[in-house]
Amino acid sequence: MVMITGGAYQGKTAYVTREFGIAPEDIADGRSCDIASLSTARCISSYHELVRRLGADCTRFTEELCRRSPDAVIIIDEIGCGIVPMEKSERLWRENVGRCGCIIASHSEKVIRVVCGIPAFIKGERE
Amino acid sequence: MTTLVTGGSKCGKSSFAERILDGFSGRKIYIATMQPFGSDAFEAIERHRKMRAGKGFETIEKYTDIHEISLSGECAVLLECVGNLCANEMFSGGEIAAPADKIAEGIKQLSERAAELVIVTNQVGSDGISYSAGTAEYIRVMGEINRKIAGYADNVIECVYGIPVVLKGEMPC
Repeated sequence: MVMITGGAYQGKTAYVTREFGIAPEDIADGRSCDIASLSTARCISSYHELVRRLGADCTRFTEELCRRSPDAVIIIDEIGCGIVPMEKSERLWRENVGRCGCIIASHSEKVIRVVCGIPAFIKGERE
Repeated sequence: MTTLVTGGSKCGKSSFAERILDGFSGRKIYIATMQPFGSDAFEAIERHRKMRAGKGFETIEKYTDIHEISLSGECAVLLECVGNLCANEMFSGGEIAAPADKIAEGIKQLSERAAELVIVTNQVGSDGISYSAGTAEYIRVMGEINRKIAGYADNVIECVYGIPVVLKGEMPC
């Protein structure tokens, strides 16, 4: 498994299409995709938004996905570096994204953080 | 050795910070700065207590005035976290205080006395949202404190979804 993270609009998806040869139409969008069909997805983008859709089931789902799809590429925004939200549901979502992100990172051979389009390998090495 | 561990929400900072002190055989002290107000705080405190259970930490609860802590003998200290400490100092009186020097100096005193000091802090300035004056000031003060601590820390490590990234010094474990 490969995890791509970094802030919004840093060029994460462009990096994946360029470096991994995955066509944009083969990327499942976590905001809108069919959740039941994700076990066969080559790549999932906006995983942080998928976490919102999954709600309380997100950590179980993520662990299951990591077991079933060891070759998937997961794109997830870094969202935790701000002020704790006032709204309880937003606080829970933010914490869940952190937990799911840690699960994905621990299962990934490579974790790549893209900043301004530049990839930094924070786990594993560039081949 | 003084190590500052930073990162966002639920990014594995605490477990990484505890891991740094796993190999320390002497007395281990955990300085807890979160006040047990509200169900969220209570849940977080319980979660962290369970995580630390069996790891041999003595706990000191200190919500403000960190410089008042006196350490004796050879010990390792884990302070968690600067974000709560800063909020407690700023918002517990009538007027909003500016505690950057007080906190950074208080923690520096600990770093001079402890054999090992690990400080957990937060990155709070990267959500791009404009907040009210009090919260904006909190973000500014947190940035100032983090820069000051990073100045005297031997190591500064950022956790990204559980992956430690060295920003200064070297990987302490």
